[in-house]
Amino acid sequence: MKVTNIIEAVDHNALTDPTKISYVDGEQTYTYGQLKAASDRVAAFLQQQTLPAKAPVVVYGGQTFAVIATFLGAVKAGHAYIPVDTHSPKERLIQINEVAKPGAIIELAPLPIDLETPIFSQKTMTQVMTDSASSTTYDATQSVQGDDNFYIIFTSGTTGVPKGVQISHQNLLSYVNWNLSDFDLYKGIRTLSQAPYSFDLSVMDLYPTLALAGTLVALPKEITDNFKDLFATLPKLKVNEWVSTPSFVEICLLEPTFDQVHYPDLDHFLFCGEELTQKTAHELLQRFPQAEIYNTYGPTEATVAVTGVKITPEITAKYDRLPIGKAKSDTLIYAIDEQGQKVPTDTNGELIISGPSVSKGYLNNPEKTAKAFFKLDGQQAYRSGDLGFIDTDGMIFYRGRTDFQIKMHGYRIELEDVDQNLMQVQYVKQASTVPRYNNLHKVTQIVAYVVPKPNQFESEADLIKAIKAELSQNVMEYMVPQRIIFKDSLPLTANGKVDRKTLIAEVNPS
Amino acid sequence: MDNVRETVLNILTDLTGSDEVKTNPDMDLFESGLLDSMGTVQLLLELQSQLGVDAPVSEFDRTEWATPNKIVAKVESMQ
Repeated sequence: MKVTNIIEAVDHNALTDPTKISYVDGEQTYTYGQLKAASDRVAAFLQQQTLPAKAPVVVYGGQTFAVIATFLGAVKAGHAYIPVDTHSPKERLIQINEVAKPGAIIELAPLPIDLETPIFSQKTMTQVMTDSASSTTYDATQSVQGDDNFYIIFTSGTTGVPKGVQISHQNLLSYVNWNLSDFDLYKGIRTLSQAPYSFDLSVMDLYPTLALAGTLVALPKEITDNFKDLFATLPKLKVNEWVSTPSFVEICLLEPTFDQVHYPDLDHFLFCGEELTQKTAHELLQRFPQAEIYNTYGPTEATVAVTGVKITPEITAKYDRLPIGKAKSDTLIYAIDEQGQKVPTDTNGELIISGPSVSKGYLNNPEKTAKAFFKLDGQQAYRSGDLGFIDTDGMIFYRGRTDFQIKMHGYRIELEDVDQNLMQVQYVKQASTVPRYNNLHKVTQIVAYVVPKPNQFESEADLIKAIKAELSQNVMEYMVPQRIIFKDSLPLTANGKVDRKTLIAEVNPS
Repeated sequence: MDNVRETVLNILTDLTGSDEVKTNPDMDLFESGLLDSMGTVQLLLELQSQLGVDAPVSEFDRTEWATPNKIVAKVESMQ
């Protein structure tokens, strides 16, 4: 199956089978007919307003049918949507509004703040979507197509200001067609919709499923947060396809009944967003021997994911750390060194991604766009900042971020590599290492922040000694941190990763 | 000295990085944002390894485990 237009593909399913269920939210179900009617009405309503042409609109809400219908309604009307989840901090909403200068904010859950931008209230939108008297007629020649933005997803920026990644209809089409052709998904599939819609992992469930006339089954944060509710709900969803981060499935694996016997419908797992570990893959293969498990990788800037691999017992046996897969067929991925030269196979370098799913850049941010994007043989290309290597079979392996690679005394050191090794030390629970710079911006020390495990040492000094001794058995001497600072916990970013930047600032007060 | 209580509070201090769990044991850990899903997973694993308490994840109701005091009571009832 190959799609040429996302909007038409979804509408086509409404015309051929209008009673087919498109969305399930708790006890509520919504058909493809309802999806088309609601999105047509939103499109007609938006075109009646005086919004600047092609101005994006913020859609503020949770995981609901109204949000999906509004996404589709916005693109039908000719406006890209910016999804903002209800769990976003207030500050983020203010920043996104400032950067994006949206034509309107569509409020599908109560907004926590008042903003200058025109707001269409929940009451108005509910009326628009449900009133059978409201118009379903809109000018489809204005609908989003080709290089027009389809959605804009905001990611965190290094300077604290979020960057809006512009994904065009063309970008999304490239992604969706790959998803439909390479993952053995089928018509009418029932898919878990767990990732919030402001996280681009959600696109992995949304559009392929809607193109396949499948059913999206919402699993909102209110349920996943409370494990009792989660495990009471999960078996009832009867999903075929599971889309999540590895972390989320790791929670589910804590429950012994999360297996093929109790989830007989579950036949596909698609993972993205972070490293899929051997341990998790192994456990899943054991629990779901009949399911197909896929690991994927991709930055938001290249539309959800650009590599994929089916995880089989052969694959887990072959590699120490699991590969992220091969590049999708319309995309070129290669690794470069610091001089920008391509590196040989099996050699680490920064991964460069070039192809039709690569974004045109960051919204209203030409400076950051110029830094990260360029043209390669007429195709848009993106410097991922991700470190990895490609083997002779074209299999790609992720090895961390280039940002945290340092040079000290001529030696090249991956801080994440040091972290990984530190965490293998028996007295270490968690660790993050940061460089200490002198006034010439040269690295003079590696400082490790360590959360120790309970231990019997008389003094901190003895513990430091023991950690260094054990670490030096596994890494080169120059990789052993000079200083170890003990902490009760490490600061985390909004995404739950260790916030190395805060630690760097602590070690290097300006 | 109440050993279970001390162990639980130490685990929580460790997980949340905050001594407040000891000074204010009736605070809501989830509402205050000190504990999230991944933190809860860690809590269950620590309770199992340090106190031998097996709390089935499918019966973990947040409202019954919301404060340090509630967690202590829960753990004591399960021992």
